[in-house]
Amino acid sequence: MENLIINEKITKGQLPKNSVSIANHKIISIADEKIISDLLPQKFGKAGKIWVGVLTAICLVGLYAYYRQLRYGLIVTSMRDYVSWGIYISNFVFFVAISLVGSLITAVFRLAGVKWGSPLTRIAEIIAVAAIIFASLIIIVDMGSPERFYYLFIYGRIQSPIIWDVIVITTYFFISILLLYYPLLPDIQILLRFKQSTGKRLYRFYSFIGSFWKGTPEQFRLSEKAINILCITIIPVAFTIHTVTSWLFATTYRPGWDSTNFGAYFISGAFLVGAGAVVVAMYIFRKAQHLEKYITEDHFEKMGRVLVLLALLYLYFNMNEFLTPFFKMKESEAEYLNGLFSGNFAPLFWFAILIGMIVPTLILLFKKGRKPLPVFIAGIMVVVGAWFKRYLIVTPTLLHPFLPMHDVPESYRHYFPSWEEWAITLGSLAGAMLIITILARIFPIIPIQETITEQHETTK
Amino acid sequence: MKPQNKSIATLLTIIFLLSGYKGFTQTAQKADLSIAVNYFISNNKVPRLMVKVKTKVNGRFQNVAGISLKLFLDKDTAGKFIGKVVTNDDGEATAYIPPSLKSQWGNSLKHIFVATFDGNKKYESANGDVTVAKAKILIDAGSDKTITASVFEMKDTSWVPVKGVDVVLAIRRMGADLAINDTPAFTTDSTGKASGDFKRDGIPGDAKGNIILVAKVLDNDQYGNLSVEKTVPWGAKFTMVNLFGKRTLFATRDKAPLWLQLIAYSIMFIVWGILVYLVFNVFKIKKIGEDITAGIKKQ
Repeated sequence: MENLIINEKITKGQLPKNSVSIANHKIISIADEKIISDLLPQKFGKAGKIWVGVLTAICLVGLYAYYRQLRYGLIVTSMRDYVSWGIYISNFVFFVAISLVGSLITAVFRLAGVKWGSPLTRIAEIIAVAAIIFASLIIIVDMGSPERFYYLFIYGRIQSPIIWDVIVITTYFFISILLLYYPLLPDIQILLRFKQSTGKRLYRFYSFIGSFWKGTPEQFRLSEKAINILCITIIPVAFTIHTVTSWLFATTYRPGWDSTNFGAYFISGAFLVGAGAVVVAMYIFRKAQHLEKYITEDHFEKMGRVLVLLALLYLYFNMNEFLTPFFKMKESEAEYLNGLFSGNFAPLFWFAILIGMIVPTLILLFKKGRKPLPVFIAGIMVVVGAWFKRYLIVTPTLLHPFLPMHDVPESYRHYFPSWEEWAITLGSLAGAMLIITILARIFPIIPIQETITEQHETTK
Repeated sequence: MKPQNKSIATLLTIIFLLSGYKGFTQTAQKADLSIAVNYFISNNKVPRLMVKVKTKVNGRFQNVAGISLKLFLDKDTAGKFIGKVVTNDDGEATAYIPPSLKSQWGNSLKHIFVATFDGNKKYESANGDVTVAKAKILIDAGSDKTITASVFEMKDTSWVPVKGVDVVLAIRRMGADLAINDTPAFTTDSTGKASGDFKRDGIPGDAKGNIILVAKVLDNDQYGNLSVEKTVPWGAKFTMVNLFGKRTLFATRDKAPLWLQLIAYSIMFIVWGILVYLVFNVFKIKKIGEDITAGIKKQ
């Protein structure tokens, strides 16, 4: 193996893992250099700039709509006395669900010893961080006046699932940040070597967050230990975050929400949409940054299998959730259920079931369907279907209260989001994608140090 | 303005002005009212009248509110005036017989109660009446938990037992009365008595276990509605548990259950403890790195 002498002096006994030293200099092979140059964050090309520009424009329209909501109040939305949780809460549940992917790909795979998943961990963590940020923001948007968020802490009751949700979302956000940060440290050390290409500001930022990383065995030991602790901690917290979100519904006595199945139903759905988002991101980053050597067809093959398993699991919970009430058809729930199966919401309901679960399963069951492009298409289907599924969990129920609506204005009987609601929602989705894009510009989307280590282990 | 337009405008003005003239409107037909007078006497005290007013709309009876009625004892004359009442949303109005009619009440064994309505814009005048004989009901509860009701009618100057009257024996509850056993009603024998066994052991009573027994004659053609109550200690002692101000899931934030606080804060403490430890761990890693940098600089 050819070696390069890196111009960095180190003291005896402080040698990084997988390196040898000659005259107190760190030595890295040419193969390693190739990996580093392949995986370094890349500046935006023309397409990247257009992408960022479009996302920023959507965010700005969303911000203007939010300004209108602040200026005129929640009356600019279509939410009224009955549908008081509309598209915002559907979007919130979607973001919380998608954020669970961090715990699936990073923690579950790591603890289960799934080695092939390591190039995907950073993608998963970046998606998790972006999603959880916007889950928190969208809740503040839903409250109307933002100062109500402060009142939640001042006057909140520990007996309320809403407070539990606030606590676990905050906790999950911090865990996700740490889980993104710790594995980044060795990569920061590598990034700091490229002062010329990174630019001053970015270099200063890298120095601030990780210049202290020298790659000593002790630093590696502490970091590995921290990552292991985080992986163990994030799983129950991830389960809690989405179970508590499901309890916001299940503890409210309404048709369609009065279910003991809701926690598991939400978590299985969250893992599915999270995995769907990862395969979509994998495909895009692979194409945009030419990472075919690192995100291989085998990754798509395996993620395709994971998606099938999760889609079938979610389908099973959906059958549980709808088949038994359909069989009983209680009078108080009949209108709600008929609305979903054959009424106003039927096109959306069957779209969510077919496009969100059944069609992706059918595509991914076949070997040819687990090639990158079909997996990408199936992933998009899963994500889009999942968004509408959240809308269906929230809105139809609120339009069918147990006690019939009497003497209410016509606008209370229907719900279709206003342009402000659409703009804010699309703005939040664009915002999440913008964060993912920016993080992918700043940090290596595939862990460099980990890839080098794995390369060395394979060579041995 | 053109002469043609002028004449059209004039014609429209005349039509508009005449539209307010009642001669164009059809005379609305007044509806008929049905007035039912019911007689009640509880615990053999002051008799009470309850009047119910209905009208037929599309073949169905509906209660009529706001109907002003005059009530009389025996005759529709000024000296026998009981009072003036107005029906509520249920079409009902109630009045007690005033002390001024005491001598009139004592003069006869049978009385007619008359309710009259003078009519208004919507309804024709109407009246209703009910005839009742003076009667009373007594209740007795034996130590063997047998309840006996006795019905008497005033004949000449004495109370005489009445045979063949249906009596309901029940327990007073919040919503409605609960029968003492599965028999809905008991019939009086030649001694005017009707008996039933109490089969509701364990029913919650008040703090001392007291329950109220009631014997009722309902809508009797001769005697109207009679009822009498008796308190007995046959119920289970009930201690009201007031959760207001206690630690419950639905209490205010300062009254959260301790078990919930313990679980919630323990979890938060453990998880956030781990996070704080991991943040300190970063500083530990930083320190190692800084020591190395300082060592290199010294060299």
